[in-house]
Order: sequence, then C-alpha cells, then structure tokens
Amino acid sequence: MENIDPAFIKGIAIGLGAIGPAIGVGLVGASAVRSVARNPEAQGKVLSTAFIMAGLVDAVLAFVLLIVFTT
Amino acid sequence: MFDVFASSVGIPLAAEPVTDFFGLHITNSMIYGLIMAVIVVSLFTWAARRSSARPTSKFAFAVESLVEFVIGLGEDNFGSREKSLKYMPLLLTLFTFILFSNLCALIPGVSTINVATAEGQVPLLRAFTADLNATLAMAILTIGTVQVAAISARGFGGHAKHYFTLVSKNPFNPTNIFIGLIEVMGEFIRIMTLSMRLFGVIYAGEVLIHVVGELAGNFGWAATVPIYFMEIFFSCIQAYLFMMLAMVYIAMATTTEHDDHPEDHSEKDPVTPQRVSQAT
Repeated sequence: MENIDPAFIKGIAIGLGAIGPAIGVGLVGASAVRSVARNPEAQGKVLSTAFIMAGLVDAVLAFVLLIVFTT
Repeated sequence: MFDVFASSVGIPLAAEPVTDFFGLHITNSMIYGLIMAVIVVSLFTWAARRSSARPTSKFAFAVESLVEFVIGLGEDNFGSREKSLKYMPLLLTLFTFILFSNLCALIPGVSTINVATAEGQVPLLRAFTADLNATLAMAILTIGTVQVAAISARGFGGHAKHYFTLVSKNPFNPTNIFIGLIEVMGEFIRIMTLSMRLFGVIYAGEVLIHVVGELAGNFGWAATVPIYFMEIFFSCIQAYLFMMLAMVYIAMATTTEHDDHPEDHSEKDPVTPQRVSQAT
C-alpha cells in the first residue's frame, strides 16, 4: 500500500467525486427540461431556479477539486 | 506529472502578505478587494448622479435595470416591495461586489504580476473571493443580518420558537430540544457552506486554469479559452447564488405567522371573482 503514487489517488478522487455532481446536474437538467416542456410560459422562472440548483450541485465538485489540488 | 497538481507551482491556498501596515499584514487579496470596492462604489455613485426620470445616460440606465432586477427578485421572495427595498442594499452590494470580484479576477495579469517581498515573489493581486477570509466574512455578515432581521421581525421569543417549537403542549419535549439544537447548528453550517461554496468554486477555477495551462504546454493559450468561458459562467452563477441564498434566508427568517395565515389569502381572494364578473 505504501508505494501507490499520490497522483493516482488524486485521479481516483477526481473521478469518484465527479460522479455525484454529474448525476445531480443531470437530474436538475432533466427536471428543468421536462417542466419547460409541460409549461413553456414558465421557462424563465424554471431556468433561473435550475441554474441555482446547478450552482448548488456544482459546489460539490468544486470541493473535490479544492481538496485534490491543495493536498 | 505530480508537479502539475502540486500547489507549490500553482496558486497557494492562503493569500500571501505583500506589505506591512503598522503590524497588520496587507495580503494581496485585501489590495484587490479594496480596488474592487472603490471601483464598485465609484461606478454606482457615477450612475446615481446621472440617474434621471428620462434616462440620458446608457450606463445609468443599465445600472437602474440591474437594481430593478434585484428589487424584483426580492419582491418575489419577500412578498412585498417595501420589504424588498428594506433589504435591497445588502443584497445588491453582495451581488455586485461578488460579481465584480469574480469577473475582474479573470483579467490577465491579476494573479500573474508579481512583486518582490521579503518572502520572495508574490502576486500583487489575488481574487478577493478566492480567499477564504473574504468569503467567510461575507457569510458571517449575511447570517448575522439574518439573525438581526429575524429578532427584529419576530422578537427574541418568536425567533427561539422558530428553532425549538415551543408551541406544543409539552414545551420541554426532548425531541423538540434536540431538533432545535440541530437547527441552531444549521445556522453555523449555513455560514460554512455559503463561504466554502464561493471560495471553492472561484479558487478551484483559478487552479483549473493554471493546471490546464500547464498540461497543454505550448498550447496553453488555446486550451484555457473554454475554461475561461466556463469561469465567466460560474462567476455570474455564484454571485447570483450568494445573493439568492442570502435573500431566501432573510425571507425565511422574517416571515411572521401573520403572513402564513390562510385568512390573509381569503381576504384577497374575493376581490378577483368580482373583477372577473365585472369584466365579463
């Protein structure tokens, strides 16, 4: 276990940490598209809420990048 | 390969001191924050001087549209224009200041022009929001405002009731006290998430530009262009998000029970059928 390259661990961490936010952004986008398709008049409100939620989810990936790049 | 990810060649986590001012370390992010504050204040003062009922200046009109946009968002969240105008100064300041800090950090030269200090070469400027002290200060200010607004709107007892749910028959129900303690802890978690989100996104963006530039070698100038556009997008989203979250927290904390009563809505509702019947 001692001779594992730290860069390998960092790569694994980025890969695993990207899975969660990717699923989250996908869910947000899918729901936004679905609700816009059902109710096209509410597009502006739905999209602004969707961007907020995407920003909230993206922060998780930012935390992962932060931890990986700074250690 | 490992050198690319090491922070020693990239952007350090903490802001570095540039000069000393009577024993106070002036870091590069503080200089940048001061410059941004001066720019934002002077731009808005200039726009306020030029503002008039019949717009003559395009810039003043653009600033007015921005202010009106934030007030409109507040109207949606707070429910009334008076309440929106009451908290608008803080929200608008947060939005414009974070937006300017985020976007101006992408100007070439901001974190690449170095000055010589006793510790070696450090960048003269560093994005204000890429410093955890700055975002933590803004988050503490926001949550402090939320607490003050909640206490002034509902009183101290009402504010405590919001956490501990003392309305039930048994006020010292251990479950309520436990949930109340978790809610109080949630306020501190809000401070942490507000600050860490902004800091994490902006700092990770700076590091990402650096890493992509290093990985692309001679073609770093081309490889970083998409990352720059992504950073512009994230800068706007994060500034908007910080303001929206502050707004939602204040709106959640200042709603009194009076607003939630169904009687209020039933008073308004009979008006609309009459209008409809008059129209038809």
